[in-house]
Amino acid sequence: MKKIWINIALVFIALLVYFLQENFFTWFTIAGIMPNLFVIFTLFIGLFCGRNKGIIYGLIIGLTLDIVVGNKIGIYAVTLACVGLTAGMFAKNFSKDSRLTIMLMVAGLTAAFEIVVYILNYFILDTNVEVFEFIKILIIEVVYNVILTIIIYPLFKKFGYFIEHEYKGDQILTRYF
Amino acid sequence: MYKEKKKGVWGIILTIFILILIVIVSNNDGENSFLENACSKIIMPIQNGFTFLKNKLSGNDSFFADVEKLKEENEKLANRNKELEKTLKEIESIKTENETLKEYLGLTEKYKNYKTIPGDVINKDISNYSRTITINIGAKDGVKKDMTVIAEEGLVGHVISVTDTTAKVQTIIDPASSVSTMLSTTKEAIVSKGTLENKQTLKAVYIPTEASVIQGDSIQTSGLGGVYPKGIHVGTIKKVVDTENLTDRYALVDVAVDFNKLNSVLVINQ
Repeated sequence: MKKIWINIALVFIALLVYFLQENFFTWFTIAGIMPNLFVIFTLFIGLFCGRNKGIIYGLIIGLTLDIVVGNKIGIYAVTLACVGLTAGMFAKNFSKDSRLTIMLMVAGLTAAFEIVVYILNYFILDTNVEVFEFIKILIIEVVYNVILTIIIYPLFKKFGYFIEHEYKGDQILTRYF
Repeated sequence: MYKEKKKGVWGIILTIFILILIVIVSNNDGENSFLENACSKIIMPIQNGFTFLKNKLSGNDSFFADVEKLKEENEKLANRNKELEKTLKEIESIKTENETLKEYLGLTEKYKNYKTIPGDVINKDISNYSRTITINIGAKDGVKKDMTVIAEEGLVGHVISVTDTTAKVQTIIDPASSVSTMLSTTKEAIVSKGTLENKQTLKAVYIPTEASVIQGDSIQTSGLGGVYPKGIHVGTIKKVVDTENLTDRYALVDVAVDFNKLNSVLVINQ
């Protein structure tokens, strides 16, 4: 029963994230550049709920984005699922207590996500390539995402550990880095 | 334990504060902000003093000053010559424009005769690297794929997918978009592409080598390619960038539509 409520809460948060990204962050930008909350959200799900949940949620969120805002179906779905998968793999190897680790994960995954999406867009939609402009935007976006992570992380950590407890039971922590 | 927690909260508050500051400062385009004013008030008097000193020191030798003067005059004359040449060119282009005004008139009439469906923008793109919008009219209102979308000022884009009640529009400033356009004065065909760099400019490429492109020249769709009808205003040329190779030169086009404030659009239903 609790697990159903958790899933409902996660879907609700996903909707909240979508509306935040769509309405608030199109206005609250750094030099006109928005952050990417979906990567952060999928990363958190992958970290705290495990690899499979990460992939499933990444696929669902990505598909919804593809249908609602994207040009071709599949680009966001595949890349966000990969984010969930990577987050699940990170969860096995790294501690989730350190804020710095999480920040590094967010930075790396955001950069990887956007680069892959850009390359896919280049092949599928024939986008004009402007490498320097792309890198400039990417750096600002990564910094913005990291700043947001600092703010969001403590809020999500409590909820995350609650979810992890529900799914995996108590665990003995054997990793310290 | 308590101390640690308190420290964390202060960290978050500080981060939020810094984020708000960055957002405010980075989005301040052009206007003199309070910060800029304060900085210039502190720095400018000192700068003035230094400039005065420098002028005192270098102004002693009158011979060099004379040479400077001559150089300045020469430059002025060269500039004037350039300006005159430019006006001559402009007059020529105005001549051609005059000749084609009749055709124009016909086009505006045609523009008026398009049947359009009014709609509102309900969604903007969530990605930094593409610029599509969603409008609140769909298949039920008669919107189909590849229909042209315009605003009062000019071209907006074309419909890429339709649902019953909404339609997705790829704007002309999307990096994946390229519009076949022409210069309204000389009728030379060019291709205007969207760029990542700026939300209000297009990059006009494939300019014919013999074509004369003038700053301020207006650009309209050419009707080639079959998506956009002929004669819809796109924007004006802001700057022509000459490269070493004449075939590589390009121009930056100021888009007529302000995409930041785009709210209502018209879909052309031919």
